[in-house]
Amino acid sequence: MALLQVRNVTKAFGSLKALDNISFDVAPGEIFGIAGPNGSGKSTLFNVITSIPFGPDRGQVVFDGIEIQRKSGNDIARLGLARTFQRETSFDKLTVFENAMIGAVYCGRRRTSSEQRESATDALNLVGIERKRFGQTADELSVYDRKCLMLATAVAMAPRMLLLDEPASGLTKPEIESSIGLIRRIAERGITVVLIEHVLTFLMSLSQHLLVLNQGQVLALGEPRSVIADPRVIEAYLGTRKAG
Amino acid sequence: MDAAAQIIFGGLFQGSLYAVMAVGLALIWTTIGVFNFSHGVLMMLGAYVAWQLTALAIPFSVVVPLTMILMAGVGWLLQASVVRPLIGRPNIVLVVVITTLAAASLIENGTLEVWGPRSKQIPALVDGNAMLLGVGVSLHQITIIFITPFILLALWLFLNRTRTGLALRAVAQNEDSALLVGLNVKMLYGLAFAISAALAALAGIFLGGYRFMSPVMGADPLLKALIVVVFGGLSSINGPIFAAYLIGFFEAVCSYYFGLYWTPALLFAVLIITLMVRPEGIFSGKSRGLA
Repeated sequence: MALLQVRNVTKAFGSLKALDNISFDVAPGEIFGIAGPNGSGKSTLFNVITSIPFGPDRGQVVFDGIEIQRKSGNDIARLGLARTFQRETSFDKLTVFENAMIGAVYCGRRRTSSEQRESATDALNLVGIERKRFGQTADELSVYDRKCLMLATAVAMAPRMLLLDEPASGLTKPEIESSIGLIRRIAERGITVVLIEHVLTFLMSLSQHLLVLNQGQVLALGEPRSVIADPRVIEAYLGTRKAG
Repeated sequence: MDAAAQIIFGGLFQGSLYAVMAVGLALIWTTIGVFNFSHGVLMMLGAYVAWQLTALAIPFSVVVPLTMILMAGVGWLLQASVVRPLIGRPNIVLVVVITTLAAASLIENGTLEVWGPRSKQIPALVDGNAMLLGVGVSLHQITIIFITPFILLALWLFLNRTRTGLALRAVAQNEDSALLVGLNVKMLYGLAFAISAALAALAGIFLGGYRFMSPVMGADPLLKALIVVVFGGLSSINGPIFAAYLIGFFEAVCSYYFGLYWTPALLFAVLIITLMVRPEGIFSGKSRGLA
């Protein structure tokens, strides 16, 4: 049974249909990639799945057997669906450790105080932030480290699924390679990962399934190599590379 | 020696009152990003509630915490009725100025209707006077001077050493990220208003045991708290605490040497110069947050 089921989800802003009848499933344990040109509705899709800042106009989102499209963002998070934003949105004035702790404390899991601290420490270790930096405030970190901290906060929640919105944006090539390794390590813990990314090599190297959106509609869905060979995808998304 | 002692006691007392008022105002700004213009009437209502409870022959040691709890409830209701429905709307800062001013007017007139225009006074925290450094000071004032740092410390410890405090600091910095980690943002907004109203009520009890109470008694403390918050900086609650004492001492010095008449004018002059030189406040960073 799929961990996440998205059924006929639609979201409009006035006359603009940002998402038009989107349906797909994500299986437990997989890394699921979502690609598409700018404005194709990728981030809007994450917004309606998490209800932050808005839910869908129509359609159904089922997470772990529970309909979530009318639940609040914090309730969805407490069910085990975590998300990161494209921009680095850590809690700037909290320390690195407090950032991870807040994920460990309010995730909806019953944990003792020491378990929460262990979870926060473990998440920070996983993303490679050294213990000596635990006392620094988040705004003292580099862009890459802040992205890692955002991931650590999400991992400390012990989520069943993690939605990552363009984790490689703004990173250098070596940092992108580190991120690929980091996302693999997260997936190895049994956390299902859904990944939006512009960098196709990033998606290709990680995803077991790839969904391509264009103008709010599903253009292609399937195994990554067959999807990027689809002529419609080449025209809509990779066509710019061909023209260049 | 008398002059120095008068300035020290005057500065500490005024600073204590301003600090208790201003931290409540700053807590709401740093958490929700709005100014609560009903903070002054919450202080006034706290004083009247304490007076009413005292009139019912409830021991004053029970009246103080009971008033703070009741006023925390009022703060929660106020937030739920005139602030929460507006969150996320454009120009929320301006809109909430209007809605909280409207609420202030309603509460002020309601108080006048219920308790009438006659001035009232609640009992002092501690009765009597003492001579300290050659100056006669009421024990009520001395008590306020001594307990205020503990109240502020307790608030600091709550915000910095408890999980709920951590959640409040987080929601103050990033509402969307707070939702993403499972925080109930609406509940935390309500909590910020509740704590703020309880602190305003405490300031009302402090003031009501020292001066006669009236339904308009909240106007001047609100203005002073706004000055303190703007002067100290809007990015944390630490800035307003330091600023409260600084302004308390500034007023005490000005009152002694130039008289009460000139003190507000001099205070505003210093505020204007401060804002020109350092618009973010003298003890402030540039971002919102309780840390």
